[in-house]
Amino acid sequence: MFNWMRNKRMFVLMIVFILFVAVLGFSIGDRKKLSWPENFALDTTGFFQQWLYRPAGYVSNLVHDLSHMREVYKENEQLRIAAAAYARDSIKYNGMEAKLKDLQEDLDFTERQKQLDNYKYLIAQVVAVNNDPYDETIRINLGSKDGIKPNMVVVTNKGLVGLIMRVDPFFSSVMPITKLNVNSIDTKLIAATVLGKEEKSFGIVDNYDSETGKLSMSKISEHDPLKKGDTVITSGEGGVYPRGMVIGTVDSSQVGDFGLTYTATITPAADFDHLTEVFVVQTSDLGAETP
Amino acid sequence: MSLQRIIGVMVLFFLSEGTIFYWLLPDDMVGRIVPHFTLAFVLFAALYRGRHSALLLGLSFGLLQDLAFYGRILGVHAFAMGLVGYLTGLLMERKRSTLLMALSMIGLSTLVHDTVVYFIYRVFRLTDQTFEWALSQHVIPSLFLQLLFALALYIPARRWFEGSIKPKTDEEED
Repeated sequence: MFNWMRNKRMFVLMIVFILFVAVLGFSIGDRKKLSWPENFALDTTGFFQQWLYRPAGYVSNLVHDLSHMREVYKENEQLRIAAAAYARDSIKYNGMEAKLKDLQEDLDFTERQKQLDNYKYLIAQVVAVNNDPYDETIRINLGSKDGIKPNMVVVTNKGLVGLIMRVDPFFSSVMPITKLNVNSIDTKLIAATVLGKEEKSFGIVDNYDSETGKLSMSKISEHDPLKKGDTVITSGEGGVYPRGMVIGTVDSSQVGDFGLTYTATITPAADFDHLTEVFVVQTSDLGAETP
Repeated sequence: MSLQRIIGVMVLFFLSEGTIFYWLLPDDMVGRIVPHFTLAFVLFAALYRGRHSALLLGLSFGLLQDLAFYGRILGVHAFAMGLVGYLTGLLMERKRSTLLMALSMIGLSTLVHDTVVYFIYRVFRLTDQTFEWALSQHVIPSLFLQLLFALALYIPARRWFEGSIKPKTDEEED
């Protein structure tokens, strides 16, 4: 009798173990839709977390601002100058945009080509951040009800922060680009180019080294004009990610693994710690058909 | 204190992990000091209540953490916390552990938990850091936090969990 009990326990343990391996394997990678228990858990925790994260953030920022009063004053001055420059440039920009539209009409651009740069920036508040060092998911308060889809790009005013991984009705999970890893099975590849040399330069940002804190951009051709200090932006080739999002600045460039292509190390532009507000970039629907 | 209330307290600590505690950390310590508040409660349950309640608490709060921050994979924390809670309960169940014994058990179990989590991520090739690097980067620093947290909560947690058994002694003794 006792022996049978022990065997049963062993049996249950094995089944539980196999079940866990199955769940773990199943949940990796791209899933278009989440099941309702997942949606329910994600939404309810998100709802409660937002009431804690935001006040904590406000208090922390207030303390920081009070202790750096002088810097805030200086920063304010700089922002005022920047705003004046922006007002000047926006007049110029409006004129140029109208002219560009006319030229596109004259050259018979298709609707898709015209909409290529027409992005919507949706502002989102951060709700919580996962502390797990292998999976630093950032939760934001926009979900599928707001038109968020997996693989949308998340930016701050400084640069690219991450990609949308999971979407539930009212919240979604962002994978920061610090989790890019060329060896892992759920990695994303971001096609990138250099600001000002968009036609000549191309590479793929695919890895982040957590020991040095640098991204790496691989598969750069030998004749690439990329050099130290250049600003790396997303190229928009491949159609998944929008183009023109700042990723970082080039640190150095060296011959890659097989000696045929070059690999550049990039210092990320965005700050990943203690975010409060981010923007989700919504591309126009016409170009969003991706395989 | 009944188990329902303890679960309420655990939920509060769970919610504060990714929000309030995250804001208390300075920038360069994010990702290095990882709070395991719910794990501490699971281990207290294992020490002062029993292995089955520890297993259940570990599984459910692990699953809650997995679901609430679903980014890459589901089930890692549920598995690790359930396993560690059960094993600790198997070793130390109702031995009337002293403070020092409880703290060392919690420290050891937290180490085992972090090792299990690391190896799951490693097996599924979601990380390619070496184990030594993971140890020095976040396992050891978060161990200190865990010990401090366990020390601060030792007296109330012990009283809650030991108090939570009493009405049920008749059922458990058969």
